[in-house]
Amino acid sequence: MLKPILLVEDNPHDLELTLIALERSQLANEVVIMRDGAEALNYLQRTGAYADRADGNPAVLLLDLKLPKVDGLEVLKTVRETAELRSIPVVMLTSSREEPDLMKAYELGVNAYVVKPVEFKDFVAAISDLGIFWAVLNEPPPGSLRLKRARNKDEKN
Amino acid sequence: MTTTEAQELLQAIDRCADEPIHIPGSIQPHGFLLVVSEPELRVQQASENVQRWLGIDARSLVGQPLSNLLPTARIEAGLTALSEDDHNPFHLSDVSIGLTGVAGQAFALLGHRHRGQLILEFERAETSGQAYDTLYPLMRTFVAQLQDSRELEALCQLAVREVKRITGFGRVKAYRFDAEDNGVVLAEVADPGYPSYLGLCFPAADIPQQARRLYRENLIRVIQDANYQPSPLVPALNPISGAPLDLSFAALRSVSPVHLQYMRNMGTLASMSISIVIRDRLWGLISCHDAEPRAVSYQTRTACELLGRILSLQIEARESEIVAQRKLELRHQIVHLLAAMADRDSVVEGFRHLPEVVLGFAGADGAAIISADKCETVGDTPDHEQILQLARWLGERRDELVFHSDCISRDIPDMPALAEHCAGVMAISISRLHAHYLIWFRHEQIKTVNWAGQPEKQIDRQSGALTPRHSFEQWQETLRGYAQPWDQVVIEGALELRNAVLGIVLRKAEEMAQLAGELRASNKELEAFSYSVSHDLRAPLRHIAGYTELLSEMESKQLSERGMRFLDNIADAARFAGTLVDNLLSFSQMGRSALRLSDVDLGALVASIREELAPDCEGRQIEWHLLPMPIVVADAAFIHMVLRNLIDNAVKYSRTREVAVIEVGAEQRAGEVVVYVRDNGVGFDMQYSSKLFGVFQRLHRMEEFEGIGIGLASVRRIIERHDGQVWAEGQLDKGATFYFSLPKLSYTSSLLDRDI
Repeated sequence: MLKPILLVEDNPHDLELTLIALERSQLANEVVIMRDGAEALNYLQRTGAYADRADGNPAVLLLDLKLPKVDGLEVLKTVRETAELRSIPVVMLTSSREEPDLMKAYELGVNAYVVKPVEFKDFVAAISDLGIFWAVLNEPPPGSLRLKRARNKDEKN
Repeated sequence: MTTTEAQELLQAIDRCADEPIHIPGSIQPHGFLLVVSEPELRVQQASENVQRWLGIDARSLVGQPLSNLLPTARIEAGLTALSEDDHNPFHLSDVSIGLTGVAGQAFALLGHRHRGQLILEFERAETSGQAYDTLYPLMRTFVAQLQDSRELEALCQLAVREVKRITGFGRVKAYRFDAEDNGVVLAEVADPGYPSYLGLCFPAADIPQQARRLYRENLIRVIQDANYQPSPLVPALNPISGAPLDLSFAALRSVSPVHLQYMRNMGTLASMSISIVIRDRLWGLISCHDAEPRAVSYQTRTACELLGRILSLQIEARESEIVAQRKLELRHQIVHLLAAMADRDSVVEGFRHLPEVVLGFAGADGAAIISADKCETVGDTPDHEQILQLARWLGERRDELVFHSDCISRDIPDMPALAEHCAGVMAISISRLHAHYLIWFRHEQIKTVNWAGQPEKQIDRQSGALTPRHSFEQWQETLRGYAQPWDQVVIEGALELRNAVLGIVLRKAEEMAQLAGELRASNKELEAFSYSVSHDLRAPLRHIAGYTELLSEMESKQLSERGMRFLDNIADAARFAGTLVDNLLSFSQMGRSALRLSDVDLGALVASIREELAPDCEGRQIEWHLLPMPIVVADAAFIHMVLRNLIDNAVKYSRTREVAVIEVGAEQRAGEVVVYVRDNGVGFDMQYSSKLFGVFQRLHRMEEFEGIGIGLASVRRIIERHDGQVWAEGQLDKGATFYFSLPKLSYTSSLLDRDI
């Protein structure tokens, strides 16, 4: 069973476009969607609505910087401060490289960040690179994934 | 005069100055003097001439009670009235002394105490009633007239006329001592036959210092007959104190033989002087002379002394009034200047705006203001090089708030060229940190002094004693290299101006600090704004671009060709808007990030930019003129951006030319380097040149030349961060030249830690 990708995004358009991008990058991982920071923390810490979910951390956490309730930086901080969550790779999604919070994200130990490009093609490429790197390349066994993905494709067609 | 002679003269004057004129040990013989002990009233010393006056040997008088000589009851009553702090002789009573062989003579008895000794002086008595009857009306009219006179000369003229009427001296003159103590005759009344000294100048050496001190303390001095034989005191030393008797306040005090010689040289046998003392300084003298010996009663002397005091008060009042008037005037001018400086927010501009006030303020012929190495002048001044040299000289004497000289050749001997142009200079420093000065200049004023006789004194070659000059004939001297001296009031005014100017500078610094604070605050706001622009504006643009792309990709079959073109336009527009936002953000970033100064080889930079632009130049014929460029201290990344922008523009706007010519060069100027990029492209209309460097300002239509209009704004921003300037020259269809200047920075330049 592949670990899921946890995507935390509040903007429905960004959410849809990111999902399409992930889809196009042909990752096999399940994508778990959280719409704000508080929900994300509940999921990660298995509290609240997610108290009963099965054990296990996501393969990668794709975290929007600006989030309602608890923002991305706080989620990142909590992840890095919690022993069980510390090893989760976190990729920050941001609207622009000019964001001052980006520096803070680095200080808090983010693994990578993606400036969402205006060009959709570029966005797909960026998400796909990151997704493959963190969700696939860092997760053995890689071979089976690609096979599985190819098989799925065949089945669909 | 040879050097030896000059030295001898100086030594003689020194001896003259050393003569202890307050203890001459003798008196003038027109009265006699007794020193008596208190309270016993026993004679301690007597003048030898009691022999002549009373027929008594002075020696026999010593030790005797005064009561042996005269009834003492009235004297004792008078003595209790003698106040301790008034040393002036006071009329105790008229006494009649009748002794064997002499008819009962009436004497006016004057007593005063000085240094613990009671000195009694006896003069021939006048009819007192008559004296007062004539004196009082004279004094009354005098005071009334004094109040009507405004000018110093008129006051003095009134006084001399009055003194002459009271005393009957043949010539009465009033003179005033200048800063060097030379006396200039301001007023004079003389009977026929007396030479006139009006307007002449008596050299300071005529009255030695100790005589001036005595004039200051004892306001009246009479010499009845310059040919008198002094009468010594017996015994010479006071038996109690063992010291010579101090006759500073005695009316009968014998004077220096030098002075008697001086009088005889002047052809006068009697003299009286009344001191004009203002604020403890001997301001002048009323000096009376007569060709014949002349007696002056104590009543007349008292009246003259009173007249002198009234005159002194009047002169003091006039002088204070003049000073107050001048101060008020100066204050007005200072306020005027400060207002001009404050209005223009610049000390230099205020100075330039009011040349006539600047000059009028100090009564100067020219003025200069020096800030940094810049020198602004008004009126007639030496040339800038000389002024800057003077400023450097002033810089070496930093502790002086104000420097002034009325003779540059004397006070600044190392600047003969300056002294050739002007004689007077006054300077104030107007910065606590820098060598900034406000300097006034005055022309030489050739001064002619009419000396009353050649001022050099002669020395008797036999005795070495000073013989006063024999000729008082007018003698002219011309003084060169002097300017009108700077008035104390003007100097104080200049200091006041200095403080106020420093205040303006200080206030400006405070305002700048406040402005910087406000700018920082608004910068923070701008940062927040760009953050929200980046996040909020970029997201919808991304969505438009994303969905458009998805739409054209997934639904293209169902769209008409026109519909597809619309979609492409939407995508283009979104992409362009995205670039706009991104550029705007990096532009705002430019103002925030700190400069990282390093050595930047401009030549190498231009070469690398040319390579970067090679793809854009493909298929074009471009003639490059890359001139040698210096190495500057600047932020390499930013300067790269600047040159890249300018060269990129040159390439872009010259693409309609068959052969494009692009020239890049630099010019070294004082304190800065000017870099230019020139092309033979489409150019621009100079009337729009001010718009070139604005954000999102474009002078061409989008179809002609692509671009978003932020490149030159960035150039300007970067160069201004370096404290430089940008400008451009062009002509429509004739090409354009873009310039930027970079000040020669060092790594410690203050812009390093500035974040605005």
